[in-house]
Amino acid sequence: MIDLLAQATTAVEFDVAQNIAWAIIAAIMLFSAFKVVTTGNVVHAALYLVIVLAGAAALFILLGSDFVGATQILVYIGAIIVLFLFGIMLTKAQLGDDDSVQKERRSMGALVGVLLMVVMSFALVDTFGNEELVFGDPEPVEYVPTTVAVSELPTPVIEALGIVNLEGTITITQAQFDNLDPQVQRRVPGAEVFGNNKQIADAIFSQYIVPFEAVSVLLLAALIGAVVVARKE
Amino acid sequence: MFLNQFLLLAAALFCMGVYGVLTRRNGVMVLMSVELILNAVNINLVAFGAFQDNIQGDVFAVFVIAVAAAEVGVGLAMVLLMYRNRRSIDFSEVDLLKG
Repeated sequence: MIDLLAQATTAVEFDVAQNIAWAIIAAIMLFSAFKVVTTGNVVHAALYLVIVLAGAAALFILLGSDFVGATQILVYIGAIIVLFLFGIMLTKAQLGDDDSVQKERRSMGALVGVLLMVVMSFALVDTFGNEELVFGDPEPVEYVPTTVAVSELPTPVIEALGIVNLEGTITITQAQFDNLDPQVQRRVPGAEVFGNNKQIADAIFSQYIVPFEAVSVLLLAALIGAVVVARKE
Repeated sequence: MFLNQFLLLAAALFCMGVYGVLTRRNGVMVLMSVELILNAVNINLVAFGAFQDNIQGDVFAVFVIAVAAAEVGVGLAMVLLMYRNRRSIDFSEVDLLKG
Protein backbone atom coordinates (compact mmCIF):
# COMPACT_ATOMS: atom_id res chain seq x y z
CA MET A 1 0.00 0.00 0.00
CA ILE A 2 2.71 2.46 1.00
CA ASP A 3 4.71 1.36 -2.03
CA LEU A 4 1.77 2.08 -4.28
CA LEU A 5 1.29 5.50 -2.68
CA ALA A 6 4.94 6.36 -3.11
CA GLN A 7 4.78 5.25 -6.72
CA ALA A 8 1.71 7.38 -7.33
CA THR A 9 3.28 10.50 -5.83
CA THR A 10 6.50 10.13 -7.81
CA ALA A 11 4.66 9.35 -11.05
CA VAL A 12 2.59 12.55 -10.92
CA GLU A 13 5.48 14.90 -10.49
CA PHE A 14 4.57 17.97 -12.46
CA ASP A 15 7.03 20.65 -13.27
CA VAL A 16 4.63 23.56 -12.81
CA ALA A 17 6.80 26.14 -14.55
CA GLN A 18 7.16 24.00 -17.66
CA ASN A 19 3.44 23.33 -17.82
CA ILE A 20 2.53 26.99 -17.43
CA ALA A 21 5.01 27.89 -20.17
CA TRP A 22 3.53 25.20 -22.38
CA ALA A 23 -0.03 26.40 -21.76
CA ILE A 24 0.79 30.02 -22.59
CA ILE A 25 2.70 29.09 -25.75
CA ALA A 26 -0.02 26.67 -26.85
CA ALA A 27 -2.81 29.22 -26.36
CA ILE A 28 -0.93 31.89 -28.32
CA MET A 29 -0.06 29.43 -31.10
CA LEU A 30 -3.61 28.13 -31.49
CA PHE A 31 -5.08 31.63 -31.58
CA SER A 32 -2.51 32.84 -34.13
CA ALA A 33 -2.84 29.72 -36.30
CA PHE A 34 -6.61 30.25 -36.33
CA LYS A 35 -6.08 33.84 -37.42
CA VAL A 36 -3.64 32.74 -40.15
CA VAL A 37 -6.26 30.58 -41.83
CA THR A 38 -9.26 32.88 -41.28
CA THR A 39 -8.14 36.51 -41.54
CA GLY A 40 -8.92 38.28 -44.79
CA ASN A 41 -5.82 40.47 -44.79
CA VAL A 42 -2.84 38.71 -46.39
CA VAL A 43 -0.20 40.79 -44.59
CA HIS A 44 -1.86 40.17 -41.22
CA ALA A 45 -1.86 36.45 -41.98
CA ALA A 46 1.90 36.58 -42.60
CA LEU A 47 2.45 38.42 -39.32
CA TYR A 48 0.30 35.93 -37.40
CA LEU A 49 2.35 33.18 -39.03
CA VAL A 50 5.44 34.79 -37.45
CA ILE A 51 3.84 34.31 -34.02
CA VAL A 52 3.05 30.65 -34.74
CA LEU A 53 6.62 30.00 -35.91
CA ALA A 54 8.09 31.78 -32.88
CA GLY A 55 5.82 29.68 -30.65
CA ALA A 56 7.11 26.53 -32.31
CA ALA A 57 10.68 27.70 -31.67
CA ALA A 58 9.77 28.28 -28.01
CA LEU A 59 8.35 24.75 -27.83
CA PHE A 60 11.58 23.33 -29.26
CA ILE A 61 13.59 25.15 -26.61
CA LEU A 62 11.13 23.94 -23.96
CA LEU A 63 11.79 20.39 -25.18
CA GLY A 64 15.53 20.90 -24.80
CA SER A 65 16.36 21.17 -28.51
CA ASP A 66 18.01 24.58 -28.58
CA PHE A 67 19.65 24.01 -31.96
CA VAL A 68 16.37 23.28 -33.73
CA GLY A 69 14.79 26.29 -32.03
CA ALA A 70 17.60 28.58 -33.21
CA THR A 71 17.39 27.14 -36.74
CA GLN A 72 13.63 27.66 -36.71
CA ILE A 73 14.06 31.34 -35.84
CA LEU A 74 16.85 31.91 -38.35
CA VAL A 75 15.36 30.05 -41.30
CA TYR A 76 11.63 30.52 -40.81
CA ILE A 77 11.26 33.93 -39.21
CA GLY A 78 14.41 35.30 -40.81
CA ALA A 79 14.08 34.01 -44.35
CA ILE A 80 10.80 32.33 -45.20
CA ILE A 81 8.56 35.09 -43.81
CA VAL A 82 10.54 37.65 -45.81
CA LEU A 83 9.95 35.53 -48.92
CA PHE A 84 6.24 35.48 -48.14
CA LEU A 85 6.12 39.25 -47.68
CA PHE A 86 7.89 39.68 -51.02
CA GLY A 87 5.39 37.30 -52.60
CA ILE A 88 2.53 39.38 -51.17
CA MET A 89 4.07 42.61 -52.36
CA LEU A 90 4.77 41.39 -55.91
CA THR A 91 1.29 39.98 -56.45
CA LYS A 92 -2.04 41.62 -55.95
CA ALA A 93 -4.83 39.57 -54.46
CA GLN A 94 -7.94 40.65 -56.34
CA LEU A 95 -10.41 38.02 -55.42
CA GLY A 96 -14.01 38.74 -56.27
CA ASP A 97 -15.65 36.95 -53.37
CA ASP A 98 -18.35 34.67 -54.63
CA ASP A 99 -20.12 34.21 -51.32
CA SER A 100 -22.11 31.04 -51.96
CA VAL A 101 -19.09 29.14 -53.33
CA GLN A 102 -16.90 30.48 -50.53
CA LYS A 103 -19.41 29.46 -47.86
CA GLU A 104 -19.67 25.92 -49.19
CA ARG A 105 -15.88 25.69 -49.37
CA ARG A 106 -15.56 26.90 -45.76
CA SER A 107 -18.07 24.46 -44.36
CA MET A 108 -16.48 21.53 -46.23
CA GLY A 109 -13.02 22.61 -45.09
CA ALA A 110 -14.17 22.94 -41.49
CA LEU A 111 -15.83 19.51 -41.67
CA VAL A 112 -12.63 17.89 -42.97
CA GLY A 113 -10.50 19.70 -40.37
CA VAL A 114 -12.73 18.76 -37.44
CA LEU A 115 -13.04 15.13 -38.57
CA LEU A 116 -9.28 14.89 -38.97
CA MET A 117 -8.78 16.39 -35.51
CA VAL A 118 -11.25 13.94 -33.92
CA VAL A 119 -9.61 10.92 -35.55
CA MET A 120 -6.08 12.05 -34.74
CA SER A 121 -6.80 12.97 -31.13
CA PHE A 122 -8.57 9.66 -30.57
CA ALA A 123 -5.57 7.78 -32.00
CA LEU A 124 -3.10 9.85 -29.97
CA VAL A 125 -4.95 9.55 -26.66
CA ASP A 126 -5.47 5.86 -27.27
CA THR A 127 -1.81 5.21 -28.06
CA PHE A 128 0.13 7.64 -25.87
CA GLY A 129 -2.47 8.10 -23.11
CA ASN A 130 -0.27 8.85 -20.12
CA GLU A 131 3.24 8.67 -21.52
CA GLU A 132 5.32 11.30 -19.80
CA LEU A 133 8.26 13.24 -21.10
CA VAL A 134 11.09 12.63 -18.67
CA PHE A 135 13.61 15.43 -18.56
CA GLY A 136 16.63 15.84 -16.39
CA ASP A 137 18.49 12.87 -17.82
CA PRO A 138 21.99 14.25 -17.43
CA GLU A 139 23.72 14.93 -20.71
CA PRO A 140 26.65 12.58 -21.23
CA VAL A 141 29.95 13.98 -19.95
CA GLU A 142 33.25 13.04 -21.58
CA TYR A 143 36.37 13.16 -19.46
CA VAL A 144 40.04 13.14 -20.29
CA PRO A 145 42.13 12.75 -17.12
CA THR A 146 44.14 15.92 -16.61
CA THR A 147 46.53 17.07 -13.93
CA VAL A 148 45.51 20.28 -12.18
CA ALA A 149 46.50 22.22 -9.09
CA VAL A 150 44.20 21.37 -6.20
CA SER A 151 43.72 25.06 -5.44
CA GLU A 152 42.07 25.48 -8.86
CA LEU A 153 39.41 22.81 -8.28
CA PRO A 154 35.87 24.06 -7.61
CA THR A 155 34.68 23.55 -4.03
CA PRO A 156 31.99 20.92 -4.85
CA VAL A 157 34.62 18.74 -6.54
CA ILE A 158 36.98 19.01 -3.56
CA GLU A 159 34.16 18.11 -1.17
CA ALA A 160 32.95 15.20 -3.32
CA LEU A 161 36.43 13.73 -3.59
CA GLY A 162 37.15 14.31 0.10
CA ILE A 163 40.46 16.06 -0.54
CA VAL A 164 42.05 17.35 2.66
CA ASN A 165 45.44 18.58 1.46
CA LEU A 166 44.88 21.71 -0.61
CA GLU A 167 48.52 21.94 -1.78
CA GLY A 168 50.15 20.54 -4.90
CA THR A 169 48.56 18.97 -7.96
CA ILE A 170 46.14 16.09 -8.47
CA THR A 171 45.10 13.84 -11.35
CA ILE A 172 41.52 12.67 -11.01
CA THR A 173 41.34 9.18 -12.48
CA GLN A 174 38.54 7.95 -14.71
CA ALA A 175 37.27 5.64 -11.92
CA GLN A 176 37.11 8.53 -9.43
CA PHE A 177 35.36 10.64 -12.06
CA ASP A 178 32.75 7.97 -12.78
CA ASN A 179 31.83 7.81 -9.09
CA LEU A 180 31.02 11.51 -8.93
CA ASP A 181 27.52 12.95 -9.04
CA PRO A 182 26.60 14.09 -12.61
CA GLN A 183 26.14 17.65 -11.40
CA VAL A 184 29.64 17.65 -9.94
CA GLN A 185 31.16 15.79 -12.91
CA ARG A 186 30.68 18.67 -15.31
CA ARG A 187 32.66 21.01 -13.06
CA VAL A 188 35.79 18.86 -13.07
CA PRO A 189 38.54 20.41 -15.23
CA GLY A 190 38.95 18.33 -18.41
CA ALA A 191 35.31 17.28 -18.48
CA GLU A 192 33.28 18.18 -21.55
CA VAL A 193 29.49 18.11 -21.62
CA PHE A 194 28.25 16.19 -24.65
CA GLY A 195 25.26 18.48 -25.16
CA ASN A 196 22.40 18.65 -27.62
CA ASN A 197 24.24 20.69 -30.26
CA LYS A 198 27.24 18.41 -30.21
CA GLN A 199 25.04 15.36 -30.56
CA ILE A 200 23.24 16.87 -33.57
CA ALA A 201 26.53 17.81 -35.23
CA ASP A 202 27.82 14.32 -34.56
CA ALA A 203 24.73 12.69 -36.07
CA ILE A 204 24.57 14.95 -39.15
CA PHE A 205 28.23 14.55 -40.07
CA SER A 206 28.50 10.81 -39.50
CA GLN A 207 25.28 8.82 -39.60
CA TYR A 208 23.28 11.24 -41.76
CA ILE A 209 26.05 12.56 -44.02
CA VAL A 210 24.37 11.30 -47.22
CA PRO A 211 20.95 12.88 -46.49
CA PHE A 212 22.78 16.06 -45.47
CA GLU A 213 24.59 16.25 -48.81
CA ALA A 214 21.34 15.40 -50.60
CA VAL A 215 19.66 18.34 -48.84
CA SER A 216 22.41 20.69 -49.99
CA VAL A 217 21.94 19.51 -53.60
CA LEU A 218 18.18 19.93 -53.17
CA LEU A 219 18.63 23.50 -51.95
CA LEU A 220 20.86 24.26 -54.96
CA ALA A 221 18.29 22.74 -57.31
CA ALA A 222 15.51 24.76 -55.67
CA LEU A 223 17.59 27.94 -55.99
CA ILE A 224 18.25 27.39 -59.70
CA GLY A 225 14.66 26.25 -60.27
CA ALA A 226 13.20 29.33 -58.58
CA VAL A 227 15.41 31.64 -60.66
CA VAL A 228 14.53 29.85 -63.91
CA VAL A 229 10.80 29.83 -63.17
CA ALA A 230 10.51 33.42 -61.98
CA ARG A 231 12.84 35.23 -64.40
CA LYS A 232 11.48 37.35 -67.22
CA GLU A 233 11.74 35.87 -70.71
CA MET B 1 4.81 17.11 -19.08
CA PHE B 2 2.90 14.57 -21.07
CA LEU B 3 3.96 13.63 -24.58
CA ASN B 4 0.35 14.07 -25.66
CA GLN B 5 0.37 17.77 -24.78
CA PHE B 6 2.71 18.34 -27.68
CA LEU B 7 1.19 15.79 -30.04
CA LEU B 8 -2.35 17.15 -29.62
CA LEU B 9 -1.18 20.74 -30.07
CA ALA B 10 0.61 19.70 -33.26
CA ALA B 11 -2.50 17.83 -34.42
CA ALA B 12 -4.60 20.97 -33.91
CA LEU B 13 -2.11 23.06 -35.90
CA PHE B 14 -2.08 20.41 -38.63
CA CYS B 15 -5.87 20.47 -38.92
CA MET B 16 -5.91 24.27 -39.12
CA GLY B 17 -3.31 24.03 -41.89
CA VAL B 18 -5.49 21.52 -43.77
CA TYR B 19 -8.48 23.82 -43.35
CA GLY B 20 -6.42 26.70 -44.77
CA VAL B 21 -5.23 24.67 -47.77
CA LEU B 22 -8.80 23.60 -48.53
CA THR B 23 -10.50 26.99 -48.16
CA ARG B 24 -7.97 29.59 -49.29
CA ARG B 25 -7.92 30.64 -52.93
CA ASN B 26 -4.99 33.04 -52.74
CA GLY B 27 -1.83 31.13 -53.74
CA VAL B 28 0.37 32.79 -51.11
CA MET B 29 -2.12 31.91 -48.37
CA VAL B 30 -2.17 28.27 -49.48
CA LEU B 31 1.62 28.18 -49.16
CA MET B 32 1.35 29.70 -45.66
CA SER B 33 -1.08 26.98 -44.64
CA VAL B 34 1.37 24.37 -45.93
CA GLU B 35 3.98 25.95 -43.66
CA LEU B 36 1.61 25.47 -40.71
CA ILE B 37 1.34 21.78 -41.58
CA LEU B 38 5.13 21.36 -41.86
CA ASN B 39 5.56 23.07 -38.49
CA ALA B 40 3.10 20.72 -36.85
CA VAL B 41 5.14 17.79 -38.14
CA ASN B 42 8.32 19.39 -36.82
CA ILE B 43 6.83 19.72 -33.34
CA ASN B 44 5.94 16.03 -33.46
CA LEU B 45 9.47 15.05 -34.52
CA VAL B 46 11.14 17.05 -31.76
CA ALA B 47 8.64 15.84 -29.13
CA PHE B 48 9.28 12.20 -30.05
CA GLY B 49 13.00 12.86 -30.03
CA ALA B 50 12.75 14.22 -26.48
CA PHE B 51 10.44 11.36 -25.49
CA GLN B 52 12.81 8.63 -26.63
CA ASP B 53 15.85 10.63 -25.54
CA ASN B 54 17.62 10.34 -28.87
CA ILE B 55 18.81 12.86 -31.38
CA GLN B 56 17.18 11.55 -34.58
CA GLY B 57 14.06 13.65 -34.06
CA ASP B 58 16.09 16.86 -33.95
CA VAL B 59 18.13 15.89 -37.01
CA PHE B 60 15.02 15.16 -39.05
CA ALA B 61 13.41 18.41 -37.88
CA VAL B 62 16.41 20.31 -39.23
CA PHE B 63 16.09 18.48 -42.54
CA VAL B 64 12.37 19.30 -42.69
CA ILE B 65 13.16 22.98 -42.12
CA ALA B 66 15.64 22.92 -45.02
CA VAL B 67 13.17 21.20 -47.35
CA ALA B 68 10.43 23.65 -46.31
CA ALA B 69 12.70 26.55 -47.26
CA ALA B 70 13.29 25.02 -50.70
CA GLU B 71 9.57 24.38 -51.11
CA VAL B 72 8.61 27.97 -50.32
CA GLY B 73 11.23 29.30 -52.73
CA VAL B 74 9.98 27.25 -55.67
CA GLY B 75 6.31 27.65 -54.70
CA LEU B 76 6.48 31.44 -54.54
CA ALA B 77 8.37 31.52 -57.85
CA MET B 78 5.51 29.56 -59.40
CA VAL B 79 2.92 31.91 -57.86
CA LEU B 80 4.84 34.88 -59.30
CA LEU B 81 4.91 33.23 -62.74
CA MET B 82 1.19 32.60 -62.53
CA TYR B 83 0.56 36.21 -61.56
CA ARG B 84 2.63 37.44 -64.48
CA ASN B 85 0.77 35.26 -66.96
CA ARG B 86 -2.79 35.65 -65.68
CA ARG B 87 -2.79 38.77 -63.47
CA SER B 88 -4.36 36.65 -60.72
CA ILE B 89 -3.19 34.20 -58.07
CA ASP B 90 -6.53 32.53 -57.52
CA PHE B 91 -5.83 28.82 -57.36
CA SER B 92 -9.45 27.93 -58.15
CA GLU B 93 -9.00 29.46 -61.63
CA VAL B 94 -6.22 27.04 -62.48
CA ASP B 95 -8.21 24.16 -63.93
CA LEU B 96 -6.40 23.36 -67.18
CA LEU B 97 -5.93 19.74 -66.13
CA LYS B 98 -9.50 19.36 -64.90
CA GLY B 99 -11.23 16.51 -66.71
